[in-house]
Amino acid sequence: MADTGSKTDIRNSLTKPAGWLSLVTFAVLSLACVAGFSSRLFAVIRFESIIHEFDPWFNYRATHHMVATNFYDFLNWFDERAWYPLGRIVGGTVYPGLMVTSGSIHYVLSLLNIPVHIRDICVFLAPMFSGLTALATYFFTKELWTPGAGLFAACFIAIVPGYISRSVAGSYDNEGIAIFALMFTYYLWIKAVKTGAIFWGALTALSYFYMVSAWGGYVFIINLIPLHVFVLLLMGRFSRRIYVAYNTFYILGTILSMQVPFVGFQPLKTSEHMAAAGVFALLHAYAFLQYVQGVLTKSEFRYFFLFAIVAAAGLVFLAVVGLTWAGVVAPWSGRFYSLWDTGYAKIHIPIIASVSEHQPTTWVSFFFDLHILICVFPAGVWFCIKNINDERVFIVLYAVSAVYFAGVMVRLMLTLTPCVCVLAAIAFSKTFEIYLKDDTTKSNVEEEKQEKNSQYYDKVQPGKKQRIREDRPKDAEGIGMNIKSIIIICLLMMLMLFAVHCTWVTSNAYSSPSIVLASYGNDGTRNILDDFREAYYWLRQNTDDKARVMSWWDYGYQIAGMGNRTTLVDNNTWNNSHIAMVGKAMSSNETAAYDIMRLLDVNYVLVIFGGVIGYSGDDINKFLWMVRIAEGEHPRDIKESDYFTPQGEFRVDSSGSKTLLNCLMYKLSYYRFGELQLDFRTPPGYDRTRGVEIGNKNIKLTHLEEAYTTEHWLVRIYRVKDLSNRIEATFSDTKAKKPKVKYSRKTSKKKRGSLKHKPKVVPGKKPTKKTKTKSKKN
Amino acid sequence: MEAVYSIPFNFLQCPNLKLKKPSWVKQPSAMFMFGCILLSYFLVTGGIIYDVIVEPPSIGSTTDERGNSKPVAFMPYRVNGQYIMEGLASSFLFTLGGLGFIILDQTNNPSTPKLNRILLLSVGFVCILISFFMCRVFMRMKLPGYMQS
Repeated sequence: MADTGSKTDIRNSLTKPAGWLSLVTFAVLSLACVAGFSSRLFAVIRFESIIHEFDPWFNYRATHHMVATNFYDFLNWFDERAWYPLGRIVGGTVYPGLMVTSGSIHYVLSLLNIPVHIRDICVFLAPMFSGLTALATYFFTKELWTPGAGLFAACFIAIVPGYISRSVAGSYDNEGIAIFALMFTYYLWIKAVKTGAIFWGALTALSYFYMVSAWGGYVFIINLIPLHVFVLLLMGRFSRRIYVAYNTFYILGTILSMQVPFVGFQPLKTSEHMAAAGVFALLHAYAFLQYVQGVLTKSEFRYFFLFAIVAAAGLVFLAVVGLTWAGVVAPWSGRFYSLWDTGYAKIHIPIIASVSEHQPTTWVSFFFDLHILICVFPAGVWFCIKNINDERVFIVLYAVSAVYFAGVMVRLMLTLTPCVCVLAAIAFSKTFEIYLKDDTTKSNVEEEKQEKNSQYYDKVQPGKKQRIREDRPKDAEGIGMNIKSIIIICLLMMLMLFAVHCTWVTSNAYSSPSIVLASYGNDGTRNILDDFREAYYWLRQNTDDKARVMSWWDYGYQIAGMGNRTTLVDNNTWNNSHIAMVGKAMSSNETAAYDIMRLLDVNYVLVIFGGVIGYSGDDINKFLWMVRIAEGEHPRDIKESDYFTPQGEFRVDSSGSKTLLNCLMYKLSYYRFGELQLDFRTPPGYDRTRGVEIGNKNIKLTHLEEAYTTEHWLVRIYRVKDLSNRIEATFSDTKAKKPKVKYSRKTSKKKRGSLKHKPKVVPGKKPTKKTKTKSKKN
Repeated sequence: MEAVYSIPFNFLQCPNLKLKKPSWVKQPSAMFMFGCILLSYFLVTGGIIYDVIVEPPSIGSTTDERGNSKPVAFMPYRVNGQYIMEGLASSFLFTLGGLGFIILDQTNNPSTPKLNRILLLSVGFVCILISFFMCRVFMRMKLPGYMQS
């Protein structure tokens, strides 16, 4: 609403206010898109156009596969290079929206004879969608409040770090397009609630379908919209519009979402979707009661109504509980369950708790990702609650639930961000409206009078009018222009600092590709550490095409994407026992690990070791999670307490526990490290990440051999040796062994090397009847 | 229909009950709801869930070079770690900033006298400024390189 203050000015000076208004809107929105796009390019400018991190590598590989073949081949793709020996059905276990989006962009561009490599489309997809997100947020806020607030919201969402963290160039992940789909679905839903038209309801369902095909977070929508409807029912705000909008959305949306292979029948069968079904039933019960209301008298109806509503709600609830108990409806999956019972994952599913983005949020992340918006956000909620209507109930509910979820998991900060932007924009635009508006009222008194009259028209009692009219001249000079402009300038300064903060965070925290590392010297020179790609290209060039590489699951997608080799486990952590097996191999001693590796048919083992350059995200730091996950499946062989010192510390130096110093991961990480002296102030074998001298310096490997170590020792690859040859047998041994193999000579069929149904041919005789009939049948 | 209803009452006597809705059950007011939301917001942004799960100490301590242990309010260099008190302190500031904006809006109420209005205005504005700049100071303590390079 910042521009409405100047709107009246413009109206006086120019004859076409609408033209100016749309020009300003257009300019602000396009600038927001451009700013959003360009602030996400830090990584591309500093490094190169490259896919980041872990999950994006799989998405890129899948997209590449789809572009190379076709969509149906992609849906039927069985990836035998992952989860060896199980394989992975990619088409049925992936949200295809991302791949289809970038694939279709590629297709359109190639139709226009613009040859672009699919990698570049993948890299720049998320920044492009951030512009669309800004537009969607603008429309959403415009429906909720005013166009001015919408402009604020669009600018906020374009540069807010909470969203940039998932959508920098190269971070080719589902969230990049899903936030756009989320905001657009909400916009259409608000529109549907406002108009009550089937058209908007159907569009909501379509947009919801896109969201389902793009990201697992669609569950948030399918729970939030029913919650909105439910709360509206509770507040007695039921209307035909809501009935039409929700039914259209639910029926079409459910049918459409079931078309995605990965989702399938889940909307009917899992607890996550039952709230939507329950509200659907409840809405019909409510509508039926309203129909009955026409038949019964008023006093009869009041009791009947109360009773029936409670009964209907109870019935729906009992039905859901009963179905869950009977096993028709699957209970909450662990990942969702951990949202409610926050300690659940820590105790039962270490693999969920091990992911750093599933950790609970601290205050720093809130401030880091949202800065001033986090302070303004409550004010926005206050404004919405003060002037409540059907749509604003929605944003309040969204705010409350998203704040809670963001507190449980760092990752869900992403769903909170758009809502914070919208509410902060509302608060800012309202404040600016107050402090900029009187600016104009002074200049032309007549308009002021009109405005004020209309403002007081129904609020003020006729008797009190007299007094206020006396007050008014006092109020006009109550806050001088100076104070107001000071406040405005301070607020603008804050917004400026917000922009500075966003740029700083984007450039320093969220723009590292994490497969290419950069270190800065004292004089500002930059060293690029390209060890990951070095190792993966070594794998690609020097190993057999069918070689199996064992590593911790974090690196599975990268090995498959860059090294093009078969992996045992990867970031799609669908098989816990398989991961536990790898974890067990890593945490047992070499002999026991060798048995497991023979069992899993492993050729190479890859570990990440940061001790030389001080890289903190290496395998030794992740090691306790491997132990925990292995302990979850094999509690008899692996015990977490064995890896701690008696004081309960995790140490890799000489006071560390014996089990740790002899386990496979330790040996592979520190093999030959004891000979390496990094500089003259530290002893040989000094680990820079942990800051200690390692405890076990002469490590001998019997079943493995070092195959390759990268320049900065960041990636180390070992070859698993074959079983050693048997000792050559002497003549006497073989002679002694021979009579051991005994065959009865009476049953000629069990003779060595005989065929089972071989026809007996006796010279000079016809074949027997039995064999004849058999051969006929055949 | 009436006949169907009256079947059980042929052999049952209605107990003389007076059921009424308890007086405290009513739709909560908008401001009450807002208070609840603000309180939960205060707790969640302070990382109360983190505190419950990870169970950090309320205030940390380090030993300096002479072996004396001294308290540390902020866990430095760790974005995903905190002590309980620092979380509560900063979420208090977040909430304060929000309240500042609400107070700024209140000054617009036409029936307030001039003095009150100026007082409200200064209080609200000071709230916003304090929360904003204190948050920056906290951030500097948390990440010493914040906005330096």
